[in-house]
Amino acid sequence: MDVQVRAEDRDRLARFLGWFSIGLGTAELAAPRALCRLVGAADDGLAPQVMRLMGLREVAQGGGILMRPRPTTWMWSRVAGDALDLALLGATAATHRRKRTAFAIANVLAVTVPDVYESRFLSSKKGPARAGKLIRKAVSIHRSRDEVEQAWNGASELRRKVEDAGASVRFGDAPGDRGTELVVEFLYAPPAGEIGAAVQKLTGRDLATQLADDLRRFKQQTETGQVVRSEGTPDGHLLAEHLKQRAARPLEEAVR
Amino acid sequence: MKATCWMGRNTVEVENVPDPKILNERDAIVRITSTAICGSDLHLVDGYVPTMKRGDIMGHEFMGEVVETGSGVPNLDVGDRVVVPFPISCGSCWSCRHELFSLCENSNPNARLAEKMFGFPTAGIFGYSHLTGGFAGGQAEYARVPFADVGPIKIENGIDDEAVLFLSDILPTGYMGAEFCEIKGGEVVAVWGAGPVGQFAAASAKMLGAERVIVIDRFDYRLRIARQNLDVETLDYELVDSVPEALKELTGGRGPDACIDAVGMEAHHHGPAYAYDRVKQAMRQETERPIALREAIMSCRNGGIVSVIGVYGGLMDKFPIGAVMNRGLTIRSGQCHVQRYMRPLLQRILEGDIDPTFIVTHKIPLAEAPRGYELFKHKRDDCLKVVLKP
Repeated sequence: MDVQVRAEDRDRLARFLGWFSIGLGTAELAAPRALCRLVGAADDGLAPQVMRLMGLREVAQGGGILMRPRPTTWMWSRVAGDALDLALLGATAATHRRKRTAFAIANVLAVTVPDVYESRFLSSKKGPARAGKLIRKAVSIHRSRDEVEQAWNGASELRRKVEDAGASVRFGDAPGDRGTELVVEFLYAPPAGEIGAAVQKLTGRDLATQLADDLRRFKQQTETGQVVRSEGTPDGHLLAEHLKQRAARPLEEAVR
Repeated sequence: MKATCWMGRNTVEVENVPDPKILNERDAIVRITSTAICGSDLHLVDGYVPTMKRGDIMGHEFMGEVVETGSGVPNLDVGDRVVVPFPISCGSCWSCRHELFSLCENSNPNARLAEKMFGFPTAGIFGYSHLTGGFAGGQAEYARVPFADVGPIKIENGIDDEAVLFLSDILPTGYMGAEFCEIKGGEVVAVWGAGPVGQFAAASAKMLGAERVIVIDRFDYRLRIARQNLDVETLDYELVDSVPEALKELTGGRGPDACIDAVGMEAHHHGPAYAYDRVKQAMRQETERPIALREAIMSCRNGGIVSVIGVYGGLMDKFPIGAVMNRGLTIRSGQCHVQRYMRPLLQRILEGDIDPTFIVTHKIPLAEAPRGYELFKHKRDDCLKVVLKP
């Protein structure tokens, strides 16, 4: 059987550069004078205004890269932006604190390399852009297929969530004596691309994360008859709670 | 109740905390009669195991009397005397059904955290960071025992606590380390570390038929305890230039057939390699000071077995993979699958094959736990094993 995988055209490097743009642009918009000093330009007169403009440009480019399924044009616009940055810094270098400006130029050059690389990479892609990626979450449950399917039918809340997301559910016999494999697959293409994905993650509506928790709990429930609780994680496995652990000591009040 | 709590790096305090309650139907509450400080607790105190939280109750070696059971614990009654194994195991997943109890697939409610660190999650462990579930530990007056229908073993006769307490961890851990060595009779086994686990690994290797066992450490009193109680040879590594060289000459130029690392992530040594790892570890550039492991690999005979039961937490530097690959070594390791060994080892104790009490050097009240940690950590007063009495 051919293993189905599908990744987005907007790969890891593009995502990194997109977020980098937004980060840098936000800094330029919020603190133009400080950044002017950092690159060795004057922090009064026209320079801070130009800095703010460049910030606006960076944020727009970042948004474009993170939202388009195949952000080839937006990536090339970063390369053009780098050239503009270098020209502006070159003009600055003749006038003010040269060491700082030289350092800034080195930094721009350092990011120009991946910008050009990624732009060329995206340009080389043919055919329609692939938006969204196939997300697959699988779990093995040490029970017969009948038992697992029965348990799944009983897990109405989880089933409804999966159906609402248009996800497919497959049951298969695991090799050897390993029980049953449960596989949930869906195409993840949130509105506004990577920005939408970030919003979903922050608001806890990210289905991949939820499914990872849900399948773990479904396995616990099916194999052991309970959701495992510890003093540090009294509500059982929930990724969102992982960073908000209580101390591992008995609670003042019983949970649930 | 009173409980020994981790209050930050190098700080252990006995605090008043709420009594534990049943959270699941397969839980039991145990009133603890004896509990011990483990070498791996020192890794927590020294701050080398991540995800500890201020206020965590420590301890994973404990036994006591059942005072309450959930509705799903038909095998235990109030009043039963039990030893509790340190891995928390559900008994029904594939790993548990294959006696890989420390790899239970269900008992770690922080599985994702462990997955990020190790690739796949491992079982929950009492009092051993949030990476292993965030379970309250057993250096306390009471403890909640999840899956009490699977783990705890009943002690039916009047045998002393100290004779059976170590079934909770270190005796099975040492035994598993020796079992990994595939001893068939006539082997030479070297054991790094004469701490409690090293002592039991050496004892087990002998019990399983090794012809010679060589125990390596730098504390004379620990080596003396090994010589006096076990039929073993000892090597003080501070008296030789190179442990692999010394072992080679002690074994007819072959090297030991199997090498057991019962030291783990905080090894000591003299020389530049130690300084290198000490600095990198202190700067959190690696989690291990793996001097013992490197030595075990370099010492082992061609085609031999390296058994790793000392605890490691993350990443190490300068791992001699070339020696492992080219010389055909086998590395076996794991947190002990305690439940697998409790019954057979209890039988061995009852039959007099092994008396684990020889390692106990200090019995002190639970309230003095911080002093116990000091004694054990700094090897003061010839300390080898501290048992706390709540």
